[in-house]
Amino acid sequence: MFERVLIANRGEIAVRIQRTLHRLGIESVAVFSDADEDAPHVRGAEMAVRIGPAPAAESYLNVERIVAAATTTGVQAVHPGYGFLSERADFARACEGAGLTFIGPTPEAIALLGDKAAAKQAAQDAGVPVVPGLSGERLSDDEITGWVEDQQLPVLLKAAGGGGGKGMRVVRSLQELPDALMAARREARSAFGDERLIVERYIERARHIEVQVIADAHGTALHLGERECSLQRRHQKVIEESPSPVVDEKLREQLGSAAVALAQACGYLGAGTVELIADREHPQSFYFLEMNARLQVEHPVTEAVTGLDLVELQLRIAATEPLGLSQQDVKLTGHAVEARIYAEDPANGFLPSTGRVGLYREPSELRFDSGIAAGSEIGTHYDPMLAKAIAHAGDRAAALRRLAGGLRQTRILGESDLATNLSWLLTLLDRPEVQTGKIDTTLLERIGPELAQPQQDRELAAGLAAVALLGPTCGGDPWDVRDGFSLSGRNEVFMRLACHSKESEVRLRPEGESAWRLGTAIVDTAGGLLRVNQSDGLARIVEAHRFDEGIWIVDEGQPSYFTKPQERSVHHAGTDSLQAPMPGVVLEVRTQQGNEVGEGDVLVVLESMKMELSVSSPEDGVVGAVHVSVGDRVTQGQALLEMEGA
Amino acid sequence: MSLLQSHVAPGSPEFQANESEHRRLVADLRVRMQRVALGGGKRSRERHLARGKLLPRERVSRLCDPGAPFLELCPLAAEDLYDGDAPGAGVIAGIGLIGGRHALIIANDATVKGGTYYPETVKKHLRAQRVALENHLPCVYLVDSGGAFLPRQDEVFPDREHFGRIFFNQANMSAAGIPQIAAVMGSCTAGGAYVPAMSDETVIVAQQGTIFLGGPPLVKAATGEIVSAQELGGGELHAKRSGVVDHLARDDEHALAIVRSIVATLGPAPKPAWERIAAREPAVEVGSLYGAIPPDSRTPYDPRELLARLLDASEMHEFKAAYGTTVVCGFGHIHGHPVGVIANHGILFSESALKAAHFVELCDQRGVPLLFLQNISGFMVGRDYEAGGIAKDGAKMVAAVSTTRVPKLTVIVGGSFGAGNYGMCGRAYDPRFLWMWPNARISVMGGEQAATVLSTVRADQAAAAGEQVPEHELEAMRAQLREQYERQGHPYYATARLWDDGVIDPMDTRRVLGLALSVCANAPLGQRVAPLFRM
Repeated sequence: MFERVLIANRGEIAVRIQRTLHRLGIESVAVFSDADEDAPHVRGAEMAVRIGPAPAAESYLNVERIVAAATTTGVQAVHPGYGFLSERADFARACEGAGLTFIGPTPEAIALLGDKAAAKQAAQDAGVPVVPGLSGERLSDDEITGWVEDQQLPVLLKAAGGGGGKGMRVVRSLQELPDALMAARREARSAFGDERLIVERYIERARHIEVQVIADAHGTALHLGERECSLQRRHQKVIEESPSPVVDEKLREQLGSAAVALAQACGYLGAGTVELIADREHPQSFYFLEMNARLQVEHPVTEAVTGLDLVELQLRIAATEPLGLSQQDVKLTGHAVEARIYAEDPANGFLPSTGRVGLYREPSELRFDSGIAAGSEIGTHYDPMLAKAIAHAGDRAAALRRLAGGLRQTRILGESDLATNLSWLLTLLDRPEVQTGKIDTTLLERIGPELAQPQQDRELAAGLAAVALLGPTCGGDPWDVRDGFSLSGRNEVFMRLACHSKESEVRLRPEGESAWRLGTAIVDTAGGLLRVNQSDGLARIVEAHRFDEGIWIVDEGQPSYFTKPQERSVHHAGTDSLQAPMPGVVLEVRTQQGNEVGEGDVLVVLESMKMELSVSSPEDGVVGAVHVSVGDRVTQGQALLEMEGA
Repeated sequence: MSLLQSHVAPGSPEFQANESEHRRLVADLRVRMQRVALGGGKRSRERHLARGKLLPRERVSRLCDPGAPFLELCPLAAEDLYDGDAPGAGVIAGIGLIGGRHALIIANDATVKGGTYYPETVKKHLRAQRVALENHLPCVYLVDSGGAFLPRQDEVFPDREHFGRIFFNQANMSAAGIPQIAAVMGSCTAGGAYVPAMSDETVIVAQQGTIFLGGPPLVKAATGEIVSAQELGGGELHAKRSGVVDHLARDDEHALAIVRSIVATLGPAPKPAWERIAAREPAVEVGSLYGAIPPDSRTPYDPRELLARLLDASEMHEFKAAYGTTVVCGFGHIHGHPVGVIANHGILFSESALKAAHFVELCDQRGVPLLFLQNISGFMVGRDYEAGGIAKDGAKMVAAVSTTRVPKLTVIVGGSFGAGNYGMCGRAYDPRFLWMWPNARISVMGGEQAATVLSTVRADQAAAAGEQVPEHELEAMRAQLREQYERQGHPYYATARLWDDGVIDPMDTRRVLGLALSVCANAPLGQRVAPLFRM
């Protein structure tokens, strides 16, 4: 076995690989970019090597630097993780060239599987079903039509020369075909300068099912059951599970043998995944999609149900140890589900979000693979996946419940722009389709709008933030207590708060000795807790976490961040006309009626006493009538233009 | 330090009777406070709001840090006067926090007779300025007033402590480095115009505030000129032409934001005059205060019961515990502030007065603020006592109290009668603050004694003339006197006339004292002076 291994990766996977290395007593060497100086994967390593600036192309994708780091630190092997260089044959070769063991398949296998057409051919040769289709150098409309007439509809026309949905047409009846051909060719021509098309069967409602395979250097190749990853958003997996709710023993055997046959056919070594698509209702019809020559993000669900450590197996295989397992030894126990936590904002088109993590809390009862910690800076340089939560239980329903429970405990809060999909995931897990396993790869696109976040009671949240910001109602110096005390009884409290730059005013009405009334709820901070007592007798504790200048309120799992806005601008209000501050001549008029202008924008330039004098907008607003033009002589106080206010 | 212990039995009939009487009195206080907090009548409030103006209490609330305490002064000024036409005397005064800094705020209530100045309004305004001066508090005037209440001009205009004194105080405070800030949020007419004009920095609300020496009607009468209020003294004019104001605000809220911004430029708060340590709650349950303290000033009780519920950790270092036992003196803390307490019960004897005078000198030497808890029926009288020099011993106490350099706080928790009021730092002795409990009484002597004294004098005069006053006549006279003393000695009679800074819920006493001690610490202690004690 190796004594020291370099992990050519970052984030949760680097941390996860490190964990196994440490368990086996192997030293781990981390590499890091400038952006990751203080990242958990660096902190946990015995040694760490800086490999370049933040952009991945100059750091985590830099073969030369990483091989140099490995050589300098005297490691015997390199684990590539997933993504980055994990499926780059040239990297595997460079490692070999430097006398290092690459923990993964051979460069040849990587190259073969990386070539879509070659991989598909290999699969077909190994007896793995591929999507029925017609491909050829230059298919004519007649050839395509002839093939389609013999097929089960629908079919999919695809541009031979490119991807990305351009030149794609789903054809559901023969009558549509001629028009579809024309349109697809036209699109393909304009997109790729190549009007060649191929055609294949289109599976309307497909499940994404994949098989984990593992092969050693001694001729043993096994499958470790399947994973279903049908819950995807724009081809990005969100929830994965093992086993698939629709795969039975018989089908598992079929899928497994097909996958093992393919692995053996390409001389595969290590852990790999054969991805398949299957008809949602008839999963027995499954087809080869591609084979990934690496450890997958979702490998933990397989680990949970098999009880195996895939990284450990990878290491043993790379060290040319025999697997020491037979197919009969592989038993799937219970059900495991994984959810991926992304730094993205579901309320804002899932745009990646960034910011510093302030409060970070992992669930206590679940496996949680994470690459971040409190204080981590989430940037835009790398994948927005922050962590994975993995629940394992006796059956699927119990696993889903445990996963939801864990996600409810999880907190990743920080700067106000740092959003995560945590509560969106909880809404998703609650869906009947997910609960019953009636899922397919387009489900999330279809139900997307329904997964919109429950409309939060912003007013209540703002009120809670105000109460939390006021702080406890007892304390040492009575001037520090913020309960609205006065000799006439407790006063109302007014506080302006901003949430996502939207300002609102909170009015807190005192209730009893130390509580506040917010609509129909009573809120108090007795004992340092923020407690909401509803009129129906229900009570709940709301979390409040101060961060920077503001505060996070987490009410029923919904986080929102409030800050005290800047004091209102103290600029002089005035008449709505902008006046000449001195007598002079108009040199420039930089605006016109109807223009939206911001506070401080220069609108008119005067020359006065041989000096140029800028007259700028006192506030954000719209310009009304402009009374002067260039060359006009103006007197002090003369109206130059009208402002139509904020 | 020793731990004060409570010896009352919660649940005893006396305890329950005390508690229920205090609760009744506090409920009455609450009702009065809530009524006054509304300001003028419903219609005038609605009219005020319809003009886009904030109600004065809301102005104060928005000016201050959200939720911070407001130590209001004399909230029940003019209570029961003018047929209830002038709740709070039409002005709100008190100490609030602006950006973490103490400030004295005076806000006219235009819903009360247009914010005009009744005699008590003037008195309250001047009292608030006095508080600012003594405690070095920046002053913020939220002006919305028609000036003097003309029907009573003789009671508000000409004298030393009348309207003009407001500006005299502004000038002198400003000169002494105590900032004067005004926000004109409504009318500011005649003499009132000097409030912003005499201020260091001034804000006006556009299209709402006006400042002029003579309003449009007076101008028309004087010169025939016809001019609108805004043209004559609006924000545009004063911010852009006259220079009477420095900042023009869009509306009330904006004006308050500008005032906060001005206060933020005042620099750090002064270094406290003494060090505050960490506060500790009293060891004795504060909630038992009502039950432990008999509300009737004629029922004697040990003031240590009260101290156990006021002092931090119920700890006190008692001075001369065995000497002059009708006054209790000791060092302790309230909300972390050091304090020297003088609490009396019943009659002051020579020994009590000497002990108290000595203790005042100790506090003066050590720079410890003084707290007087008044429950006093007066100095002892009688031949032996006069011969024993009680007058000169009382004088020593009065002299010490009058001349000490340390801040004094007084709470009248029971009776405040006769010369006891003097020795125990009554209003005339310039305590920084003075409050009354709702059960307290204040008069030159008790009603019963006054009735007896006066009926005796009457009977003696008659006897000297060889006549006899019928007993029923004497009894009627006594009854009339008892009624008069009871009425005039009542806390609401007192507070209406600003003999105090407010009637407080006994349960708030500890907190109010904590707030006040913090305020007092703003002003540095002066030099010690040596009074001449008659020996």
